[in-house]
Amino acid sequence: MRLALVVLATALTAGELRAQALRPTGSASFVTARVRSEVPAGIDQFTGPAFLGQGALAIGRVELSVSYLQGTLNHDGGSVAGRDLVEGTVLLGVRALQWLTLEGGPHARAYALAGSTQRWLFWELRARAATAFVGSAAQGYAELWRAVAADANVPEPFDHAQGGEVGMILRMARAPFSARVGYRIDHAVLGGGTRLETVEGVVIGIGLSGR
Amino acid sequence: MSGGRHLPRLCALVCMLGAAPGALGAQSSDSLFAPGLRAYKNLEFDVAAWLLRRDVAHLTAAGAPSAERARALVYLGAADLFRGRRDSAVAVFRRLVMLDPRYRPDRLVFPPEVTTLFDGVRLQTKTVAVEVPRDTTIAPDAGAFDIWLIASSFQTVEVTLRYADGGPFRSLYAGPVGDSLKVQWDGLDAAGAPPPVSRVVLRVASRSPTGELAGIVQLPLDLRLSRPDTLPWPPPPADGQLLPERATSGAAKRSLVGGLLLSGAVAALPALVGGTDTPSGPRIAVAGTIGFAGLLGYVLHRPGRPLPGNVRANQTLRDAWQRRVASTTTENARRRREVHVVVRAGEPTTIQPRGP
Repeated sequence: MRLALVVLATALTAGELRAQALRPTGSASFVTARVRSEVPAGIDQFTGPAFLGQGALAIGRVELSVSYLQGTLNHDGGSVAGRDLVEGTVLLGVRALQWLTLEGGPHARAYALAGSTQRWLFWELRARAATAFVGSAAQGYAELWRAVAADANVPEPFDHAQGGEVGMILRMARAPFSARVGYRIDHAVLGGGTRLETVEGVVIGIGLSGR
Repeated sequence: MSGGRHLPRLCALVCMLGAAPGALGAQSSDSLFAPGLRAYKNLEFDVAAWLLRRDVAHLTAAGAPSAERARALVYLGAADLFRGRRDSAVAVFRRLVMLDPRYRPDRLVFPPEVTTLFDGVRLQTKTVAVEVPRDTTIAPDAGAFDIWLIASSFQTVEVTLRYADGGPFRSLYAGPVGDSLKVQWDGLDAAGAPPPVSRVVLRVASRSPTGELAGIVQLPLDLRLSRPDTLPWPPPPADGQLLPERATSGAAKRSLVGGLLLSGAVAALPALVGGTDTPSGPRIAVAGTIGFAGLLGYVLHRPGRPLPGNVRANQTLRDAWQRRVASTTTENARRRREVHVVVRAGEPTTIQPRGP
């Protein structure tokens, strides 16, 4: 699968890398994260703020993006200790159309519990559509992803996982800054539905793009 | 026949045979008046005069070149002189001077009696030859029509341009002329305007020192005014170059529909990915924000709203066109003022005043 992703990206981007300028972008966001873990024994729900940093480097139609999220989530009932959430992605993508980008790569997530760490690793395929809808100032985007493989140190076998994000980016007319608001959610099913993991959040951030 | 009467003829014979047989041969190469010339060389001056007078009449009637007629005339004058007809020789030489004021008899061919008499006649005869270019284009404030006057002897001339009916058009020169003189015409009338007629006559009147009219040379000049073509008007900006100055409904609809779709996508995303029991508050807040942005975009891009950027861009295009129009107008006005006068000269004619 990993090899197939690399071959796909290489085939789509052949000939596009020469004589192209690098276009870096970056953003820093505040996320109100919420994690819901549903197992037969019960439901645990954690919420809390998190910091999300994202960066991307594009050359021609090829884009390499990375993200890092970290935050401390508290149990909603207060009866269970909180957990730290750390999450990161490394995605290699290609802009298939002016408004459509296809990406693939690993997505890792870890919950630091008392005395142990729960690790998740998804291999994802993503499709992201973005276009301006209020003049050129406001750009809407919608992103969907699905895990094609996963590995988690939980008892239940992995079944499937998918997620998405929808939001809006406001660009300043003459400045390289942008503001972003969005909603994201992903949902994993393990053990034939005996374990459901849902992570969602509202993202509010500012971005900087090189021109 | 007395010995005194034959003395000049003998002198002429000695001079001709001893001084310039080669030059005589060179001058008699033309066979048009060969019999008369042969009689002249045989000292048969009566016969030579009769033949040469006949040949001159033929040459004149045939419109022969003035150089040929001049050579026949000088031999005719010399023959008349040697046959004792001095008055006839003077008349022939005067005719020769009128024909070509620059003509001088070859002093290696003709004896001093002939050349002295010719010089005397030339000094007494007041006439000019007029040389002008066949075609001339006179540019405004730059060019001129050059008129060369070659005088037979010192005299006073009046150079004028006249209408075809003889009325004065413009005076160019009035004053003395020694050997030659160049007179110029700038192509304008007396008021400094381009000529309003298509033909004028160049008249050169020669006067003797006593002020008597000695001769007139006239030359018709055909005139034509030539104006350079004007530039075409620059075309106005094409419709395809102009941007719409009022917003169409497309941008407004895009804002509204885009906002609605995105808001709906936010609301429906949990159901799409399979999430269960997700709180709706944060999602509704995000969906509402996006929906509000779409609504605001609809208001900002409402149909018919003026588009200042496009208005400015179009105005820049129109201003550039107006500048091109102004530049073309200035250039065309300059070209309309730039009238060239094209002059074509005709053949000169000589008018001799009648004697008292």
